[in-house]
Amino acid sequence: MNLLEIKNLKMDFGKNAEALRAIDDVSFSIGAGETVCLVGESGCGKTVTALSIGKLVPTPPANYVGGEILLNGKDVLKMSSRELREIRGGVVSYVFQEPGASLNPVFRIGNQIKESLKLHRPEKATNEEVIRLLKLVGIPAPESRIKNYPFEMSGGMQQRVMIAMALASEPKLLVADEPTTALDVTIQAQILDLLRDLKQRLGMAILLITHNLGIVGDMADRVAVMYAGQIVELAPAKELLRKPFHPYTKALMNSVPKLRGDADRLSAIPGNVPRIGNFPPGCRFAPRCPIAKPECSKKIPELLEVEPGRFVRCPFWKTNQPVQ
Amino acid sequence: MWQFILKRLLHMIPLLLGVSLLTFLLMALSPGNYFTALQQNPQISPETIARLKAQFHLDKPWYVQYFFWLENILRGNFGYSMAYKIPATSLILSRLWNTFTLSFLAMVIAWVVAIPLGIFAAVKRDSWIDRGSSLIAFIGLSISDIVLALLALWFAAATGWFPIGGAPGPGFGESLMEQFLDYTHHLILPSLVLAASSIAGIMRQMRSNLLDTLRAEYITAARARGLTEGWVIYKHALRNAINPLLTIFGYSLASLLSGAFIIENIMAWPGLGRLTMEAFVAKDSYLVVDCVVMATALLVIGNFIADLLLAWSDPRIRLE
Amino acid sequence: METAKPISIAETKTPLSPWRLFWQRLKRRKIAMTGGIILIFLYLAALFAGFIAPCGYNHLDTDHSFHPPLWPRFQGFHLVVPRSESPGGNFSYQIVPNDTKPLRFFVRGDEYKLFGLIPTSIHLFGTGDEKYPIYLVGADQFGRDVFSRILYGSQISLSIGVVGIILSFALGMIIGGISGYFAGGTDVVIMRLCELVMSIPALYLIISLRNAFPPDMSSSKIYAMIVIILSFIGWAGMARVIRGMALSLREQQFVLAARSLGQSHLRVICRHILPNTFSYVIVAATLSVPYYILGEVVLSFLGVGIQEPQASWGNMLTAAEDVNYLQHYPWLLAPSAAIFVTVLAFNFLGDGLRDAADTKSL
Repeated sequence: MNLLEIKNLKMDFGKNAEALRAIDDVSFSIGAGETVCLVGESGCGKTVTALSIGKLVPTPPANYVGGEILLNGKDVLKMSSRELREIRGGVVSYVFQEPGASLNPVFRIGNQIKESLKLHRPEKATNEEVIRLLKLVGIPAPESRIKNYPFEMSGGMQQRVMIAMALASEPKLLVADEPTTALDVTIQAQILDLLRDLKQRLGMAILLITHNLGIVGDMADRVAVMYAGQIVELAPAKELLRKPFHPYTKALMNSVPKLRGDADRLSAIPGNVPRIGNFPPGCRFAPRCPIAKPECSKKIPELLEVEPGRFVRCPFWKTNQPVQ
Repeated sequence: MWQFILKRLLHMIPLLLGVSLLTFLLMALSPGNYFTALQQNPQISPETIARLKAQFHLDKPWYVQYFFWLENILRGNFGYSMAYKIPATSLILSRLWNTFTLSFLAMVIAWVVAIPLGIFAAVKRDSWIDRGSSLIAFIGLSISDIVLALLALWFAAATGWFPIGGAPGPGFGESLMEQFLDYTHHLILPSLVLAASSIAGIMRQMRSNLLDTLRAEYITAARARGLTEGWVIYKHALRNAINPLLTIFGYSLASLLSGAFIIENIMAWPGLGRLTMEAFVAKDSYLVVDCVVMATALLVIGNFIADLLLAWSDPRIRLE
Repeated sequence: METAKPISIAETKTPLSPWRLFWQRLKRRKIAMTGGIILIFLYLAALFAGFIAPCGYNHLDTDHSFHPPLWPRFQGFHLVVPRSESPGGNFSYQIVPNDTKPLRFFVRGDEYKLFGLIPTSIHLFGTGDEKYPIYLVGADQFGRDVFSRILYGSQISLSIGVVGIILSFALGMIIGGISGYFAGGTDVVIMRLCELVMSIPALYLIISLRNAFPPDMSSSKIYAMIVIILSFIGWAGMARVIRGMALSLREQQFVLAARSLGQSHLRVICRHILPNTFSYVIVAATLSVPYYILGEVVLSFLGVGIQEPQASWGNMLTAAEDVNYLQHYPWLLAPSAAIFVTVLAFNFLGDGLRDAADTKSL
């Protein structure tokens, strides 16, 4: 049994006539100790999918209309408030994109970390444990840092504190939503090193959300690619990067600027990501797809396992596509 | 922190001086003074009037008058009220105290009622309580103080539970407790009326602040750590939502003092506002200036206290 | 990869201009539109006050002092107005049976000037006979029709609100714009002045300003004085906010671009900086008009604003200050209903404008 199994998850914003589907039939799983990257552009639904794991999307306006999220075999969507509070922090912990915004500005960071400890590991709610956690995430001179307020620290430090807070409750799954997007490149590298290090030491599973393919290569065991609320490709990381199957994945990889070879024009995917509520009929990528055929716009293709462990939502995945 | 306090205190002095100068100037622009009316009175000889005028320096240009007035103020002497024929100092101080008690009680009532209502409205957003209190807030914001005060007087007359405005009695032969009860009895209706007009604004502000705070990412992060909803709201969100409220404290104090002015005059509560009108009508110019400066001082000090509270509450301000 | 795919239709809708977008968002807010419609009615009524009012504002009738509301009633299919008299002479009235006059429209009555220009004596409704007055709300202690006086009062109160706002906001925008744009010494001086004015609680400042004017003035002078006083209160707050906006706007590149094209400071302020503050100003203006109206009401109520026999909502309320009168003749409070509806309508509209301008919300 996998640590996390999302099966055919469907979620709307709003009700009845005004319902906008944000998550459309999403399925993937994460095993213990595995790192899965969820890749996609802004607005494709990756954040709400991740937040759904802890049922953190406010309902209303969100509305789960189908599927289940099995965390250690139990469906999160059916849990009571008490059960939810146990798994939040206890089984799954979050690290968010804006480190400064995730820390309460009026409380000292030591107290904020202790709060998490008091809730999940009360016997360890001590200053010593807080210092140990801060050391674990690589904050220098942690003894003096526990009295700091968040605004007294740099972005990179704040993110480390967030990670320390997430680890305080010893979760089995760490969900990191674009944890490095708001940071400088050099700090990015440090935080990713930290995550990799922690993964090895603690045997934690990680769901890493990103739109940066470079990070995928660095960190992921498996990758799920999302587009317009749907998973369009699911594969082990190395294989996906070496040989992507879905036209969208291929286009994404092509749009990463290369340092070698002929540099002519930056290739971009023409058109725009369809907005929620404005999805085209049939395959959602069809309007922008270089190999789209008329039948693509008639029916949404199924997500099929075309090779062992490789899933694609495109019947023409074998077609050779024009490549730069 | 002490630097901050000192800087603000030093700042207040030129401000009050400027205010007194402005008010004095405005007063000087107006033709006629207290003695203009007296001049019509055939029983008072022109010589007496001239003598009184000289005594109060009213025969000199306004900047000289200002200088004498300032000199007196710095000696703690508010001068002599021409209309009341008593030294103005005790008059002003007692009226000031009454305005202060009225405003303070009204403020306490308003905040005690408005904040829980605002929290409730934000937490149970779009429930009938939220919509209901929003409607009442709208209505409250739209009813003038004047009307509320008149209605309150009507209420007092109709039920007889409260005195119909007016001042507490002089208290001869009454015990301290009886005087206190009499004072409070007269104070209740005016402060309720004054509080009523503030409640709406504070409640809406609290609701809007809390809603904004609840949208913040650190609130989602707090929930994600498994904290109960109550803990998240009352410990994390509220603590942040209160800060912007402290900044509007200053504005609410200004409107409280203006409201007190109206209510004192309609309900005959013997405060600074009532004294100002009485002095104005009698053209007792110095008294008007004294009152305006006192009211301004009250406002400025109140703002200062609000800023202190804000600095204490928000570490970002304290440690900058 | 060659980009040959045409852009799909969904992406080719013409974007709306900010004003059209704003208007669309405003239309969706029913409460704001209700407020707006109420205001249109109120201002139309004020414009045609003389016509709609059955009597002039100073039409004395001591035979009907403190008369309760006297409405036309049905006699068969006709609307008629009965006569009423007071047998004991102590302000209690009885209807005289079988003594009525029919209600007519476009009837001749007191003389007045429509729009302040055209002398006429045609009124919307009435009986045409002074002995058969209609009191929609009641009469005051001089027998004057309260409803008519409310209408005449609305001319003053509603117009003062708008004129006062325009004057003080224009002042505030210019001063604030200059202060924020030039910064430095000018800014410091102007802001200190603002702070000075804002430190005095509003009503105390109003009375101080009233002090600067002679106690007796002609009614048109009083009107102008009230406008000046109210503007003096309002400009400082607006100047403060505009100054803040100007301070940040001047750092923006379009200002640098304008200057590099040789535009003068004045032009930059007027054509670039100030227009960017409009969305805030319009909302603030709508929400502030009630305070200006209330300012005039307070001044007139305290006896230092609009004087008798002119009708103003404020000076009409002084009659209600006597609790005895209030208990026996509650219609004396009627002007407060007019004030309430006006302020409520402005608040509804202002709230809706603010929501519509805030594109981050729904």
